[in-house]
Amino acid sequence: MTLLELDDVTVRYGEAVAVDGVSLAVAPRERVALIGPNGAGKTSLLNAACGLIRPASGRVRIEADDVTGATPGSIVRRGVSQVPEGRHVFGTLPVEANLLLGAYGRVFRLEIVSSTLRYLRSRRDVRDQLERVYDLLPKLRELRERPAGRTSGGEQQMVAIGRALMASPRLLAIDELSLGLAPRLVQSLAEFLVRLNEEEGVAILLVDQSASLAFSLCERAYVLETGRVTLEGASRDLVGRPEVRSAYLGGGPDAPS
Amino acid sequence: MSTLDQRARRNRRDAIVRVVGVVAATAFACWLPFQLEGGDIGLYDRMGLYALVAIGLTLLMGFAGQVSLGQGGFFLIGAYTSGLLTVGLDPDSRLVDPDAGIDPVLAVVAAPIVSAAVAVVIGVPLLRLRGHYLAFATLAFALIAWSLLYAQDRFTGGQYGVTVTKRLELFGHQMSGASHAALVWGLVGLALLLSTTLVASRVGRALQAIAVNEPAAAASGVNVARYKLQLFVFAAALAGLAGGLFTFYAQFLGPEDFVIVLSLLFVVMVSIGGLGSFYGAVIGAVTIVYVEHELRELGTRGSLLGWDLPPQAPSILSLGVFGLMLITIMLFFPHGLLPGLIGAIRSLRRRLGASRRSG
Amino acid sequence: MTTFFQLVVVGISTGSVFAIVGMSLVLVYRATGIVNFAQGVFAVLGGLVTYSLSQHMSLVLAGLLAVLVTAIVATVVAVVAVGIRGRTTHLASLIITVGIAIFAEAVLLAAFGEVPRSYSAISDRAWNVGGVLVQPQYAALALVALLAAVGLTLFLRRTIVGQALVASADSPRAAELIGLNLRSIAVIAFALAGALTAIGGVLLAPTVPVSYSSGLTITINGFAAAVFGGLVSIRLALLGGYALGVVEQLVVGYIDPQYNLIIALAVMLVLIGWRSRGELAV
Repeated sequence: MTLLELDDVTVRYGEAVAVDGVSLAVAPRERVALIGPNGAGKTSLLNAACGLIRPASGRVRIEADDVTGATPGSIVRRGVSQVPEGRHVFGTLPVEANLLLGAYGRVFRLEIVSSTLRYLRSRRDVRDQLERVYDLLPKLRELRERPAGRTSGGEQQMVAIGRALMASPRLLAIDELSLGLAPRLVQSLAEFLVRLNEEEGVAILLVDQSASLAFSLCERAYVLETGRVTLEGASRDLVGRPEVRSAYLGGGPDAPS
Repeated sequence: MSTLDQRARRNRRDAIVRVVGVVAATAFACWLPFQLEGGDIGLYDRMGLYALVAIGLTLLMGFAGQVSLGQGGFFLIGAYTSGLLTVGLDPDSRLVDPDAGIDPVLAVVAAPIVSAAVAVVIGVPLLRLRGHYLAFATLAFALIAWSLLYAQDRFTGGQYGVTVTKRLELFGHQMSGASHAALVWGLVGLALLLSTTLVASRVGRALQAIAVNEPAAAASGVNVARYKLQLFVFAAALAGLAGGLFTFYAQFLGPEDFVIVLSLLFVVMVSIGGLGSFYGAVIGAVTIVYVEHELRELGTRGSLLGWDLPPQAPSILSLGVFGLMLITIMLFFPHGLLPGLIGAIRSLRRRLGASRRSG
Repeated sequence: MTTFFQLVVVGISTGSVFAIVGMSLVLVYRATGIVNFAQGVFAVLGGLVTYSLSQHMSLVLAGLLAVLVTAIVATVVAVVAVGIRGRTTHLASLIITVGIAIFAEAVLLAAFGEVPRSYSAISDRAWNVGGVLVQPQYAALALVALLAAVGLTLFLRRTIVGQALVASADSPRAAELIGLNLRSIAVIAFALAGALTAIGGVLLAPTVPVSYSSGLTITINGFAAAVFGGLVSIRLALLGGYALGVVEQLVVGYIDPQYNLIIALAVMLVLIGWRSRGELAV
């Protein structure tokens, strides 16, 4: 059974069509990539999956449960968390507060008082989860008191990932992991994600402009162009395709594989 | 014929159609007051005066993207400029010397000039502000203008006001009642011509660029600050002119009770017509003055639907209705009431058409 | 010299109300990015409702109920002001709150009439401190403002709810993504701010009677205090409020009571200009 499934999803902004009848699926413990040029609709697709936007048509399913049009909160509760493009950490708050809010958001429902009580009652579990995240990302433990806005780009990426992990997701969707980060940093983050996937069993959906990163990290990939899926399949197969090489991998026989 | 030539031809044709249309409409608008009776003339006059202000504000809000909650201030400045110059600046000589003060025509001409001057002075620092700071600052300006005028009892007549006995005379004809209204609407037509021509010109295109994406426009060399200031001053001048003429409509100079509400009404007028539409602004002005009038009638009736109305009913009704209008328009038709309604009707028709076709 | 200190003392008490309103504005702004032009209305509502209820019950109970009622009203204002997701910009929200303020004046006028209302203070016996008369009411106001400042700062920094409020303004997108409901957060911010401002109004009315039209002046003064803190600092809003109150009283006492509003406006403009200096025109 698939963990996350998008079935013929179309996303519109007024008259403009950003995503046109896209279907994709991520199985438990899988690593899947979504690549494509700027403006192809990748972020819109991700936002539709995570509940920020309501698709104009099509269905979003998490383990066969229809969650189309559900709130982002309920999608988080079902185990899908997104690390947004550009990180979007809560800059004025310390790193630890950013992480704890990841847990708070999970129990947050319409009514604040009961949500807060629920959170306070589960304090011990939250603290345990916090320790687990610190174990996974030790740098964050060093930075726990620092205002998140005063950390470097790479550190902010870690904060954003840690914040998403605080909700104990079964699938982590990451939008533009490599944006604005040094290659070595991206590499270590990629290694971290592989470890997360293999040791903790968290599925990964990586949306990125860097095809080489996507192919090296994920077993399967979709190529999105102007709102439609033009190619899909195993990464090692796609890497060999000439249209992929020329458009996304800089062409030529020595493009990365 | 190349496409460029075709486009130039089309533009010229559009311009001619537009000018002819506005001139024809204005001629009609100037003829109309002579067919109206008594109180209706005054109402019609007010509609024209407010339309002048609204046109200026449309330029400012729609094309420079600047929200001004203080146009009422410029209106007030214009009114007091023309009024005080007419009755004489020396408060002591006003009652005794019938020759005190200058010719009303000069006073009216001075009104937009003074407003524009004030706009230049406060515009430079003001237009540096963004969003809510700008909104509060323009509001503060209007309030300060009003407070100062209200507080200077001796000079401006304070809360009791000053009666203006001299009448406006143009080419030997007295401009009051219907002729005053005709003059006002003639100026409205002129303002429309000026504004629509401005927007269609090269300046107008620069303004569009600013309204759409300010940083990008600035990056491509457009002097944003200067254009904004020019629009701000133009809007202030129009408001000042309207105020100056208002003095000879009311023949009385007194601080409008709620300068804030007046300033906000101008915003509502512009929102009704749609942010970028000058004709819409005129429609907005006409609508608001009409609604205001009806509410006042309703409020002074003494009883409504069987309920006894308190003496403050007119205020309650107008404040209540205008507040609700502002809320509703901003919530559901942020791009303007008319465009929103037209868009809604269009999409409704589309949906009905689609179901009919498939049904 | 006693005149000077007398004016300062009165200034601190009126300034406390400005500080309270200013801090409330900061709270709402930090949580939602919206400047609530109708904030002053909550103070007036607090005072007028207390007045009406006090005809039927003790003053203390009336005051408490008034605060509760105002908090509920603030909740409604929140929903309306936040508007429609994706369609209502912050600026539109501001103008909506302006519309709400105008509409509220109509309602208040209809419900309570135009006569300014007041009721008895905590105590009619003022303390005499070295020739300066200090009303217990003043002390109460100043104390409440101080406590509010401390409480709000702790709330925003230390509690999870407060941090959620701050997070929602830092990045509404990320806040939504992790599951926070922005509308609920706006409601909480408005309700808290409304209750706080109402307390200020309840304590103010005995010394300065309130009526349907008092809201505007209170909002302007409160906004000036908030701007002193750049719309984000609770502590500076407190300080700004006190300072503004004192400056106004000194002008009223030594120059002319008519210039009350003008001073507030001028100070506000200066502060706006100062605070905006960092942001370039384009």
